[in-house]
Amino acid sequence: MTWVAWRLQRTETLIALALLVLIGAVLLPTGIEMSHAFDRDHLSLCLGHRPSGACNNAIEGFLSRFNSLGDLLAWFTLLPGLLGVILAAPFLLELEQGTYRLAWTQSITRGRWIAAKLGLPLAVALLVAGAYILVGTWWREPFVRMNGRMDTATYDSEGIVALGYTLFAFGLALVVGVLWRKAVAAVTVAFVGYVVARVFVDTWLRDRLVTPLKLSWNPAAGQPAALDHARILSEGGKILLGGGRLIRQGGRSRSPVTPAAR
Amino acid sequence: MSGLEVVQGGGSAPAVAADGLGKRYGAKWALRNCTLEIPVGAVTALVGPNGAGKTTLLQLAVGLTVPTAGEVRVLGLSPRHDAHALLPRVGFVAQEHPLYRGLSVAETLKVGKRINPGWDNDFALGRIEQLGLPLGLKVGKLSGGQQAQVALTLALAKRPELLLLDEPVASLDPLARREFLQTVLEATAETELTVILSSHIIADLERVCDHLIILSQAETQLVSPIDEVLASHRLLTGPRTDPATIARVNRVIRESHTERQTSLLVRADGHAYDSSWELHEVDLEEIVLAYLGHRRAGAATGATQRSSDRDVVRS
Amino acid sequence: MIEFHLDGRSGVPTYLQLVQQVRQAVRLGILHPGDQLPTVKDVVGSLTINANTVLKAYRELDRAGLVEARRGLGTFVASDARAQPADHLDELRSSLSGWIDRARAAGLDDEGLAALFADAIRPTAVARVA
Repeated sequence: MTWVAWRLQRTETLIALALLVLIGAVLLPTGIEMSHAFDRDHLSLCLGHRPSGACNNAIEGFLSRFNSLGDLLAWFTLLPGLLGVILAAPFLLELEQGTYRLAWTQSITRGRWIAAKLGLPLAVALLVAGAYILVGTWWREPFVRMNGRMDTATYDSEGIVALGYTLFAFGLALVVGVLWRKAVAAVTVAFVGYVVARVFVDTWLRDRLVTPLKLSWNPAAGQPAALDHARILSEGGKILLGGGRLIRQGGRSRSPVTPAAR
Repeated sequence: MSGLEVVQGGGSAPAVAADGLGKRYGAKWALRNCTLEIPVGAVTALVGPNGAGKTTLLQLAVGLTVPTAGEVRVLGLSPRHDAHALLPRVGFVAQEHPLYRGLSVAETLKVGKRINPGWDNDFALGRIEQLGLPLGLKVGKLSGGQQAQVALTLALAKRPELLLLDEPVASLDPLARREFLQTVLEATAETELTVILSSHIIADLERVCDHLIILSQAETQLVSPIDEVLASHRLLTGPRTDPATIARVNRVIRESHTERQTSLLVRADGHAYDSSWELHEVDLEEIVLAYLGHRRAGAATGATQRSSDRDVVRS
Repeated sequence: MIEFHLDGRSGVPTYLQLVQQVRQAVRLGILHPGDQLPTVKDVVGSLTINANTVLKAYRELDRAGLVEARRGLGTFVASDARAQPADHLDELRSSLSGWIDRARAAGLDDEGLAALFADAIRPTAVARVA
């Protein structure tokens, strides 16, 4: 049965691997470059200290070089969703084409069949997602050291979060496909549903999960340490005479060293 | 039960035994009150219009679905609970003979080999060779008749004792149909194989099958060996008779009247009819159609038309 | 080796047609004692009929002593099965011609001849119940 399940998901497995290769092709060279830049400019030494002119420039330079890349690659957090729905396709095709009626009347029990037909693609999806997580985590290392992990793009692509996304997308595709027995349409709808769910969670739900911490400080004193790796929901405030500058609000946390305006 | 006759096959357990079997989807019963026995070693035809319950009965027998009421035992086993023991002994070809389109013929056989312990690979390869199908060709590229044959090969190569075919020739051209039936019949000649095949095409039945089940509107109308069906049904024709007189005639399956003449299709069973009636033999197709039209006519007039020993048809 | 054919519209049961064809073949000398009849599988394959029908026919022939089934080998024409002696056939043929001439003279056309004959030899199972 294992061979049978493999053979029937051959195409989808290849697609998943191709996606992984694509990710690797983008992340590996750029990641190496970033890592070198980080080390070369000794940016690690700049973290957590009072700003100095040289550090400011170095960080400024680093960010201006790689931030846009980081933005672009934030889109990669949709990859686990893509993996999940694509690898649910072989199972859904069995439903659409009625071949489960062939499979269930051979000599194996339904339970065994379902275990193989769901277990194998899920394993592949999770493995590929896991590989993506490892590469992505390594890639983001410089950013994480500067901005912390609470950045949306970072949070979503590290640790077990992405695995959860894969599972969710896989399950969503299964549910849609069982109700609406058209595999391609179900996969598409499930992916759209996944994106919608992600957007909802990322932009609305997360901000309301925990009561936010409110802080006020004198800009001249510099940002409190508590904000070092925080996800900032909103900022604003009065400008005191002789004080600092307004910090632009947004979802991206700022470097604790330079309250730079964009 | 209306018009049922239970046939025992030489004392051995029946291939399929249903007892009050029923299946409901939502509010609608796809099959109900089904009590019958299908003997081992016979080729049984399951006949009825679309939606009559043929597919449901076959799916219940092979364990693809579970009964809502009653039970069914196949080769003495429960299709759902004893699936592990039963499935290797039962071959099944679903409607539209589903196959994995993207696999080649050789890979399809490999699937059969990998998930059927009793797989006879020599037989399977031999059949494919006889059919002249190239092993490397993708199944999706085969014609309908060739696909049906591949599906049949899959079912036969595990050497089952019982073969269930759901409308196997419905979408095939006449030549493909004949070749398919030839394969099935040759298999019965070679081994002790019981076949149940459902069809809404009546024409081939008399030659191919020796046992008949008629299903209509989710209920069984007739279960009997074909020889007996032909021997026991007659067409009575006579001068136009009024309904009261007909009430005395037992087991009328269908009646029709013209201005001058009345025709009754009856289940004769040795009854004697008075000299005003002329007896004719009827062919199988006519008999089956009469049973199928039987229920519909009853539904239209609102009168129940169940032919049992005591019941009578009212027009 | 005999080759069977079926007449789907004759009203004669299939197995009986097979029996008749074997009898006829023996009578006419097409089949000799010791000749093998086609295997059940072959008949089933060429006519697309039920195997039990063939078995029924062969059993009937066996019972009539015309053939004998040898386990594992097949079914063979019995050694004492006899072709109809040629002279009887000639005699029958000529008397038949005589009857045909008389029937035609009485005004029957070919169809009428066939119907009369069919009625006369039809098994009495379908009789009018008086």
